[in-house]
Amino acid sequence: MTSQRKVATAVAGLVIGAMALVGCSGGSGSSGEGEVTGTLDFYTDKAAWKPDFEALNASSGKDVDITLKTTGYSDANQYDAFIKQSFRTTKSPGLFTWHTGDSLKQLVDEGLVAETTDIWSKAVDEGWVSEDLRDSYTYDGKQYCVPMNIAYWVMFYNKALFDENGIEVPTTWDELNAAAAKLKSAGVTPYYQTSTLFTFQWFQHLVASSDPALYAGLTTGEVKYTDPRIVDIMNIWLDEQKDGWFSDPGSTTDPAVALKQGDFAMIDFGTFFAGNLSGAGMTEDDYGMFVIPAVNSDLETTPVAVESGPMCTAESSKQRDLGLAYSEWWMSPEAQTAWNEAHGDVAFNPKATVSNPALAELGEQVAGEGYSLYDRFFEAMPTEIVTTAIEQFGAFNANPGDPVPFLEKIQATADKYWAGQG
Amino acid sequence: MAHQKTPYQWSARGFIAPGVILVAVLLYLPLLWTVFLSFTKYNGLGSPKWIGFDNYVEMFTDGDFVGSALNTVLWVVGTLIIPVGIGLAIALLTWNLGGGIWLRLPFLIPYALSGIGVGVVWSFILSSGGALDQALAVFGVTDPPRWLLDAPLNTVVMIIASSWQGVGVNALLFTIGLQAIPKEPLEAARIDGAGGVRLFGSILWPMLRPLTAVVVGLSIVASLKTFDIVWGMTKGGPGTASETLALTMYKETFVNSDYGLGSAIAVFLTVITLVASVLYLRQQLSPKKEV
Repeated sequence: MTSQRKVATAVAGLVIGAMALVGCSGGSGSSGEGEVTGTLDFYTDKAAWKPDFEALNASSGKDVDITLKTTGYSDANQYDAFIKQSFRTTKSPGLFTWHTGDSLKQLVDEGLVAETTDIWSKAVDEGWVSEDLRDSYTYDGKQYCVPMNIAYWVMFYNKALFDENGIEVPTTWDELNAAAAKLKSAGVTPYYQTSTLFTFQWFQHLVASSDPALYAGLTTGEVKYTDPRIVDIMNIWLDEQKDGWFSDPGSTTDPAVALKQGDFAMIDFGTFFAGNLSGAGMTEDDYGMFVIPAVNSDLETTPVAVESGPMCTAESSKQRDLGLAYSEWWMSPEAQTAWNEAHGDVAFNPKATVSNPALAELGEQVAGEGYSLYDRFFEAMPTEIVTTAIEQFGAFNANPGDPVPFLEKIQATADKYWAGQG
Repeated sequence: MAHQKTPYQWSARGFIAPGVILVAVLLYLPLLWTVFLSFTKYNGLGSPKWIGFDNYVEMFTDGDFVGSALNTVLWVVGTLIIPVGIGLAIALLTWNLGGGIWLRLPFLIPYALSGIGVGVVWSFILSSGGALDQALAVFGVTDPPRWLLDAPLNTVVMIIASSWQGVGVNALLFTIGLQAIPKEPLEAARIDGAGGVRLFGSILWPMLRPLTAVVVGLSIVASLKTFDIVWGMTKGGPGTASETLALTMYKETFVNSDYGLGSAIAVFLTVITLVASVLYLRQQLSPKKEV
């Protein structure tokens, strides 16, 4: 009798455990191991883009017989933790969005993402993607993931405010400064700034377009944030702050709405911001964009910050082959033209058609002579340093003053990080 | 002396086993895992690497951690004074009134909101050029304080925002406590001429002590783990000026993927919360205290 009860208790425990596991595993009609057609489970932290991704199903279904079943997360940190956890289960995703730079390197180092060297070789041979972009996806000579998108970081401006103040699109640093001074004297705040998250872009531009080697040195730890040259550059920013060239960092007005209503005249942002402006009711008659002139006019090319977000396949995923098949299609001009129609922004594939004429023109301009691309601060620096830097630039925007204490805090994090790499 | 287990004992164990297993798996294992992680370097991928007390050394030598700890102390003190104090005041002023519930009810409504929701609503009010600044401008205040940009003002206004949410439930708890007080001593005190402050100081406050202990205890625990409202309003900024320990823990773990350091902060926070709660409740609810 006693042993029967013991067995019954054990069975009850097992049943509960099994039920819990079944509950966790979920179920779907998605394709399984080895298949290269069917429904692909796709995860992204860009929940707002879910309709854009799903709009592509018509094209991908027709071209390669694969459709996406998209799960969108709106909290990036929660999403990252979810993806990392998924590698420990049998449910690692067949396709998911991620970040280039340090974050992707971590996945590659652990052998968690599928190699895409063949896909890249074909895409480069076909002229679908630049070799420069391939570098951001290359580790030990092999490629991992494919680019989900690219965005250039440029200056958006309110056309009406420029026209009212007789300002032409600036092509040199001096012209940009003259435009800012003119706007300020007319009672218009020249530039946008904030105290959280997007606080890095002005620093990124000031450093990279003053001395690209200096910026590169920051990414490798060879240059310290407390370097006198960095301090000098920060003092340019401080002078601009003192001149009142930046908007109130404590405002929570949507920057697209704020540009529309003239809270400021210019905003340094990624080209995807065109979609936000459209959402705020601005058309290309209302806003324009231009490549931000280099601080150092002696540079042979104007550096332009580029960000690229990867789309990856987990090496251990049951949908690995399906994910790679979709990735291969994704690189094609047909896919990228369809994606551009659905989503907008510039295209990484020069053979794709960009639907927004202004973005198409900008893409062609940057791809032509006289411009060079550098990785956006967010991806170029290790995550811990980015976190501290964003905080400190935010604090600097809120209370502009001697830049050294802010830089010392960033450098303290950098010292810790680089020491840990040794 | 070993006793033979009776069938009743075995079946009793069988019935409590699922509960014990759930508690072990869902509460004790994560706690032990967190303690283990706090001694490791781990980015959420691969295997944790044992580094001894390095995370704790780093935590205590980091200036920002000290700032977070001080902000957390401010939260503890602030939420004791404002929501607990105002909650008690509301309860005292309304418990004997006919229709008092209708006066207390509005204070309870914000409790239905999540902390993030409260943060979003209040950041609309307190951001630069927000609702409060616009209202002040009507009265001629053209240069209002920078509510969310200057420390420690930003923490103080966030405590007020949090109080807006928390005061109602404290008022409710105190009202329950007041209603549970027997009528006889109150009547006796009134016959003796006690009223107002004297009645409160000599009768109500001592008789509310057990409930006050619970309300204050809950308030201490809640304030030590303050996260969502700060995340919703300032993200801990500008810089790290308004960070709390819970926010630093979240940032290190999920933004920087430094699970080891995040776990060390979590362990520290757990120890502080447990020690504060146990010491306080033991002192307040000790049987030797007269009620």
